[in-house]
Parts: sequence; structure tokens; C-alpha cells
Amino acid sequence: MRILVVEDEKRLAAQLVDMLKMAGYAVDTVADGEEGWFLGDTEPYDAVILDLGLPQMDGITILRKWRAAGRGTPVLVLTARGSWHDKVTGLDAGADDYLAKPFQPEELLARLRALVRRSAGQASPEIACGGVVLDTNAAKVTVNGQAVALTSHEFRVLAYLMHHKGRVVPRSELTEHVYAQDFDRDSNTIEVFIGRLRRKLGIDIIRTVRGLGYKVDEPE
Amino acid sequence: MRQSASLRLRLILGAAAWIAVALLAGGIVLMELFQNHVERQLRTEVANHLEQLLAGLEAAPDGSVDVIRPLSDPRFHKPYSGLYWQVDAPDQAGLLRSRSLWDFVLSLPADELNFTEWHWHPVVGPSGQSLLAMERSVDLPAAGRLRVSAAIDVADMEAVTTSFGRILALSFAALGCGLLAAAAAPVVLALRPLRRMRRALAHIRSGSASRLEGDFPLEIQPLIDDLNALLAHDAAMIERARVQAGNLAHGLKTPLAILANEASALERRGSGDEAEVIRQEVARMQAQVDYQLAQARAAAARQLPGARCKLVACVDGVRRALVRLHAERNLIIEMTIPEDAYFRGQREDCEEIFGNLLDNACKWAGSRVAVTGRVKGEQLSVTIDDDGPGLSADQRVAVFERGRRLDEAVPGSGLGLSIVRDLVEIYRGEIHLIESPLGGLRVELLLPAARSGAAGVLDHKA
Repeated sequence: MRILVVEDEKRLAAQLVDMLKMAGYAVDTVADGEEGWFLGDTEPYDAVILDLGLPQMDGITILRKWRAAGRGTPVLVLTARGSWHDKVTGLDAGADDYLAKPFQPEELLARLRALVRRSAGQASPEIACGGVVLDTNAAKVTVNGQAVALTSHEFRVLAYLMHHKGRVVPRSELTEHVYAQDFDRDSNTIEVFIGRLRRKLGIDIIRTVRGLGYKVDEPE
Repeated sequence: MRQSASLRLRLILGAAAWIAVALLAGGIVLMELFQNHVERQLRTEVANHLEQLLAGLEAAPDGSVDVIRPLSDPRFHKPYSGLYWQVDAPDQAGLLRSRSLWDFVLSLPADELNFTEWHWHPVVGPSGQSLLAMERSVDLPAAGRLRVSAAIDVADMEAVTTSFGRILALSFAALGCGLLAAAAAPVVLALRPLRRMRRALAHIRSGSASRLEGDFPLEIQPLIDDLNALLAHDAAMIERARVQAGNLAHGLKTPLAILANEASALERRGSGDEAEVIRQEVARMQAQVDYQLAQARAAAARQLPGARCKLVACVDGVRRALVRLHAERNLIIEMTIPEDAYFRGQREDCEEIFGNLLDNACKWAGSRVAVTGRVKGEQLSVTIDDDGPGLSADQRVAVFERGRRLDEAVPGSGLGLSIVRDLVEIYRGEIHLIESPLGGLRVELLLPAARSGAAGVLDHKA
């Protein structure tokens, strides 16, 4: 899953990136509003963490522009403006969640997970498919109860496919949601990850749909 | 009202004084003139009678005098009629008298007259009345110097004068009242715009208007415009203060957030104790910042009369926010608030009060939160119910203590409820916690209501 962090305070941004990477996300960060708006408008993210007090373009303006343009990416507003008036304004502008600074890191991660899950249509924190259970809260994968060790990239690929369980995900989409922007992408590596996943899981839940992409579904 | 009344009173009393003085002086002058005129008339009459008498007076060669032609006025023949004549010889007063004198003799004072002079004397009449006598000296051959006089009762003259005086007094009194009314009317009319202005100001204080509305005369309109500009300026200043408070928040909270994150990182690296210290102190600083901001916001609210917001719009905004914030829970938030309920205060404060209370209700609720409001005279009565576990009587008291969290498991700053309590206090409202018929907690709120009237510059653009 790929997250965009729009935050102008560098140290905080760095802390957020660390936090999110440790939780298994691919993260892009940007420090000014206009760039943030542009990235959110053009790149596919699973969620955006948006500060409001940004240079070049205010967070509320960014949010309104995204929504007006039809971008439905879940946005969690993370801001010092914590009054209820600000919350109502932010949520009315199109935010999906609103967290005031300072915040508990655990709370931020939990809310982010819930956002990502909800937007993918997954109501429960646990996504199961044919014996494979993805616990989004703990960021762990089990197969028939047994824990499976995955690299961060493998985890991301599996998590994305399982969030979109039952849907064919084109390889390009998978690539976009698994790598951060500045990562050197090689189109073959997705196949490598899929191969490794199949081996580690042991259960055939990842299907290749020729010419279209990959899909996670119940084993036949 | 006192100042305005004394100004009016002063103007009216001043006019009354001037009118009284003028009418008094005029009345005196008129009385004088009238009296003189009446007296002159009387004297002319007496003079005529005397002329007639003199013309009819003749002396016989033996020295006796007689009136050969009687005087025409019948009053001379009627006893004690009030009109008399008398001829005095040098050695005998009352030698000849009119029949009206009967047996009374007028006693003229000693006087030296030249032949052509007329003299006037007040004399006493037969029945003790005051008379005005006119005399003349004539020298008749053989008779000597005679004093010839005619006298008339002044009582009539006095009666006429008195009657005139009374009529004059009455009519001048009426005139005076009329003049006073005419003087008072413009004063009252001129001051009426001031009273209208006071009423317009009262509307602003009560919250049903946020600028002075109405037509005012040319002289007052600049004042009205200035006042409205001042009110708008105040509103702008409050706004600026809020923005500054918001900047302060941004300035402090981000560093606090960074510190909180470092605390987490420290904890992960194994320095749990240090991490806990940092986390606690960060929480204290955060609470202070929140508290100061809430105070500044509330203090600003008190300065601004005439601010108001539509309650249903405000609570609905909060409700929409909560639906998203608690999206996982699938809560039902019911709202029953009349359209004409207006909160007399800033929208931000209204949202802060209901945001905290409804957020709390949502956190604890099983599945349902209900908000009902109604207008009770000068107040809004709002009730918030949830179907959660509720609070015991002791807990209900404890919950308002600053920073006190009843259940660590439910995330959120315990400061929220004390912010609500402080805001409610500043708005001179009331808040009570009791058991809810839904099973959980009921919050009863009493807040100042604004009258639903014409919108003004201070209304939140809903």
C-alpha cells in the first residue's frame, strides 16, 4: 500500500515516514502544498496524510481541489488545528479522518489502516482468503494459523491484492501501489514477488489473468 | 434614558420659562394699556358732564347761582346713582348739588386753580364709594369764585378692568400652553431618532441584529454609520485574534507532536522510562495549550455582542464530522432541532461545545445518539442522549475535573468536557449530567438563545 505524506515540518515528516515504513507501507513525502496537490492528483495512493498549514497551497484548498476533480483517495488530515470548528471544516472539505497534533503514533496507524481497508471495501481488519489471513492491525500474515515471514515488498504486494480481493489488479497498478515514487522500478520484479509469495504461502490464492493482471481469490 | 430625558426636559422647561416671562410681560403691558384707556374714557365722560354743567350755570344779579339748564344724563337725578355734580361757593361747600348726591356733600380737597385748569381728585361718595372728581374754577359776577365739579363712581371701571384681566389671564394661559406644545413638539421629534437608536442598540445586545438598521435623519446617520463600522471592525479584530491563536497552536503543537513521536521511538529502543516522562510532560503541555486556546476563544466570544449561529446548522456540521470520524461504528445520530433556534454566540464555540459532547456520546454509545433541542424563552434547551453504559452519580461529578479520564481504553483528551464546562460557564449557561432514558448518559444544556431576526454582518455565513 502506498501512502502520500504532505507535511512541511521536516522532522515530523521523517518520523512519519519511519513509522509508516515500519508498518509496511511505501511512502512518498512532499513538503509544499502545490507539489502535494499535484502528486495526489496524478499518482495513485491508497491514502494521504495531509497537514493543513502548508506553504504554497493550504491543505483545505488541496482537499477541495482533489474532491472537485473526482479523486476519491482516502485522506487523513493531521494538523495542529484541533478545534471542532476546524474538524467540521476539514471533514466537510472532503477529509475522511481528522487527527489533531500532537497524536499517539499508534492511533495514527490504526486510523490509517481502517481508512485503507474501508476504501478497498474491506469491512473487517482481518482479510481472509482460502486459509490465508491478513491481519491488517498487526501487519501479519498467517496460513492456516501458521505465521509466514514476508519481506516488506512481498507483504505490500499481498496486502494490496488481498485488499482488492476478487478484483483483477493490472500489473501497472500493482507496481504503482507497491513502490514509492523515487524507487527504481523494474517491471519484472513484480513477477518475482508473486513467485516468491506463491512459494511462501503454499496455497494457490494468487491467480494470473493473462494480459490483465493478478487476482486474489478462493482456491478452486 | 436619563440623559435623553433631562435634555428634553431642560429644553422644554427652558421654553416654558421664556414663554411664561414673555406672556407675563405682555399681560402686564396689556393690562396697563387697558386700564389707561378705560380711565381716559371715564375722564372724558366726566369732562363732558362738567362742560355741560358749566354751560348751564348762571349767576343772578343778586349773587345767587343756579343751573338753568339741567344736565341730560338721568343718572344725575337718581339718588346715589354714581354720577354726581356739585358747585362750591367760596364760603359754602355744596351750594348746588345734583339730585343724585341727595344730602351728601362732596368734600373736595383744598386746591388752588387757575381759571383754565382742570384738576382731578379722588373723593369719597355718598355711600362710601370711591369717586373720581373733576373740578374747575369759574368766576361769576356777583357770585365770586366757584368750584364746579363732577364725579363718577370708579367701581365700574374697576369691574371692567378686573373682568378684562381675568379674560386676559385665561387666554394668555391657553396661548402659553399652545406655545409650549409648539415648542415641545420639535424637541420630542428631534430626540426620537435617539430613542430609535437605543432600541436598535438593544437589538444588537440581545443578538437579534448585528448592525444598526433603520432610517435615521441626516444629522444622526453619520453616527449610525460609524457605529456599524465599529461593530464590523470589532468582528474583524476577533477574527484576527482567532487566526493568531490558530497560529500559536500550529507553532506549539507540531513541536509537541515531534516530541511525542520521539518518545515512542525511545520506547522502541528500550528507554521506556524516559519515554514515559516525555510523553507525560508533552500531554501536560498539550493540555495547557488547549486550555489557553479555549479561554482565548471564549473571552473573544464575550466581547462580541450580536454574534449568533443557527443551532441546527452547527449541530448538523458536527454530526457529519462525527459520522466520518466514527465510520467504523455504524452509529445512528438522531437530531431534532427547530429551524428558529439560534445560539447567541460564536459558531466556533457552539461547534466546540457540541463537538466535544457528541464525540463523547459517540465514543461511549452502543449504537444510538439522540440530540433534541428547543427554544425556552431566552434560552436554548438541548439534550444529548446515548445508549452506552452511562455514568454513576460519583463519576458524573468527577468527569468535569480537568484532564481526568474515566476510561483509559477510550482514546481522547479528558480535557474536552472541561472545555465544555468552561465555555458553558462563560456563556452563563448550565450543564447537567443525568441518567438517560436510552440507558446511557444524558447531558442537559441550557445556552443563551438569540432571537431569530434579520441576518447581519456578524452572522456566520452558514
